[in-house]
Amino acid sequence: MAGDVTARTRRIGRRALLRSTAALAAAAALDRGVLGRPALAQARTVYVNTWGGSWTAAEDVAFFKPFTQETGVQVRTVAPVSFAKLKAQVQTGQYEWDVSGLGIVEYSQAVHEGLLEPVDLSVIDRKVVPEANIKSHGVSSVTLSTCLVYRKDKFPNGGPQSWADFWDVKKFPGARCLYDRSFTTLAFALLADGVAADKLYPLDLDRAFRKLDQIKPHIKVWWSQGAQSQQLIQDGEVDMIGMWNARAQELIDRGVPLEIVWNGAENYTSYRFVAKGSPRAKLGWQYLNFISDPRREAAFCSILPYGPTNPKAFDYISPEVAAKMPTRPDRLKVAHQPDAEWLAPRLAQIRERFAQWLAT
Amino acid sequence: MAGQLTASLPAAGAAAPARAAEGQSVPWLLLAPATLALVVMFVLPIGYVLLLSITDPALSIAHYKRIFSVPLYTRVLFNTFTTSLTVTVACLLLGYPVAYVMTRRSDWVSTVLLMCVAVCFWTGFIVRTYAWLVILGNKGPVIGIHQALGLGPPPRLLFTTFSSTLGMVHILLPYMILALYSVMKKIDPNLLRAAASLGARPNASFREVFLPLSLPGVVNGGILVFTICLGFFITPILLGTPKDMMISQLINQQIEELLAWGFASAVAVVLLVATSVVLAVYNRFFGLDRLWG
Repeated sequence: MAGDVTARTRRIGRRALLRSTAALAAAAALDRGVLGRPALAQARTVYVNTWGGSWTAAEDVAFFKPFTQETGVQVRTVAPVSFAKLKAQVQTGQYEWDVSGLGIVEYSQAVHEGLLEPVDLSVIDRKVVPEANIKSHGVSSVTLSTCLVYRKDKFPNGGPQSWADFWDVKKFPGARCLYDRSFTTLAFALLADGVAADKLYPLDLDRAFRKLDQIKPHIKVWWSQGAQSQQLIQDGEVDMIGMWNARAQELIDRGVPLEIVWNGAENYTSYRFVAKGSPRAKLGWQYLNFISDPRREAAFCSILPYGPTNPKAFDYISPEVAAKMPTRPDRLKVAHQPDAEWLAPRLAQIRERFAQWLAT
Repeated sequence: MAGQLTASLPAAGAAAPARAAEGQSVPWLLLAPATLALVVMFVLPIGYVLLLSITDPALSIAHYKRIFSVPLYTRVLFNTFTTSLTVTVACLLLGYPVAYVMTRRSDWVSTVLLMCVAVCFWTGFIVRTYAWLVILGNKGPVIGIHQALGLGPPPRLLFTTFSSTLGMVHILLPYMILALYSVMKKIDPNLLRAAASLGARPNASFREVFLPLSLPGVVNGGILVFTICLGFFITPILLGTPKDMMISQLINQQIEELLAWGFASAVAVVLLVATSVVLAVYNRFFGLDRLWG
């Protein structure tokens, strides 16, 4: 478990802080005028920023190896994904990697900050990649869902089926856990308060915080790292939790008695992009075009239970595997997506208010 | 920036032009590498952080106004200092006896203790934090013993300020013990024998001789643990409640999630200044130099 934790956790605390500080220091020490760009590699290598662990292993099988086989271009990886590193790279002009991916909200922040290359439409094949999957500066990759998950052994006669049920502590007694991500949890509160999934945005913050006040005393712990959420529900520290479907699925496959409730899920789509000013931008887009093929997406999502964003990918996925995926068409109807355009410029304030609400 | 640095070096050499005492320039030259290292590794980055805090995204002191007008930041800053103080005192109380035994015994006891401390020291802190999740958890030994003894409903151990503090004390205790041990080991045992031969009972010789001589270790260990603790946040996130939030968690959020480097820098500067003030007050009353010397 511990090795898994260090390899897969996104923000691992001190190390992350050190990295961030190092990024700041690097920005301080390096001046792109003084020290030009080093020739980091031969022209035929593309550097991909990835999460490490099982994520990179799946990418290796589904993306890297087939890409090298077909084009002769080598793929080198750099882990983990760091939003701050993207900014440091663009500011200093020193590129450790060319291609990365971020959730839609972070992607929109990055667009606002001018950190991404515009999509190279001469490379991205619109006959293969649906128009809906192409944004101004990125191509959608996979969708990760944050869902209500409960322990079946705690609720043998059926557990909570909606966020309203999650809020109903009399009907469904038990320890609860929520995600320390402001907009996700605020949206769940509004759903619990009866707001329709397609009317969530723009978020009614006052109403959401009022609803959160009701559940706060019953939240035993707030999670912020994927491995942490798994540990909490696996050890039975909590009986119901809002967590990532892929992390819950991993536990179910290991035999933990969990039920994923797709109703009310938040679908969070990632976008892959090329860092602004990357010297290997063209290769980066070639790589992204290659992996956006529905067959490649299907290959990746068959290894890890993330949802493909290209509907054609389901043609290459067996029904049993599709049963694990948040983007199966029937599930899209009961899920919502955060409105990243609305969130990106307001996130700092919402985050601050949420942190203050948590700390008091 | 690097160009300016190297350019300033010959200037520093020329700054000792008097040559009245030829030998005097040698110590200055010897200091040059250390000074250069300090400037490159500390003065420049901190200067840059300071600069960012008032220039990113625009030239203003708005970040500092926000820190002192939104209650979140001062509250978390206050909590960071009180938590660090609690952890430091707990480490001292737990660590002093261990270091004392390690010093005074020269047989296998000392070796075993040193091994235990070293193994603890070398184990990753995330691993140790997750270990506490298991030990204090629903299925862990503490709750298990409690239930086996039939003592009623299990106490709430995890996700409290207690568990968070416990986790941090566990992680920082080796630093304290090793800092104390390195000083205690240098205390001449003959001094204690001399005290005994002059009629001091064991209590008195400890109080009058050993304790005062071990104070530099207390100061070193205390400052080490206190300053490391100021930068902690992952253990409180995993073991504590949102009320136990540490300031570096907010800094990390600003850098990693919001890319608000200007604001993050301002929070970091406030933390740095507050830490310096604490150390200055400490120095005023206890005299760091005297104890280190």
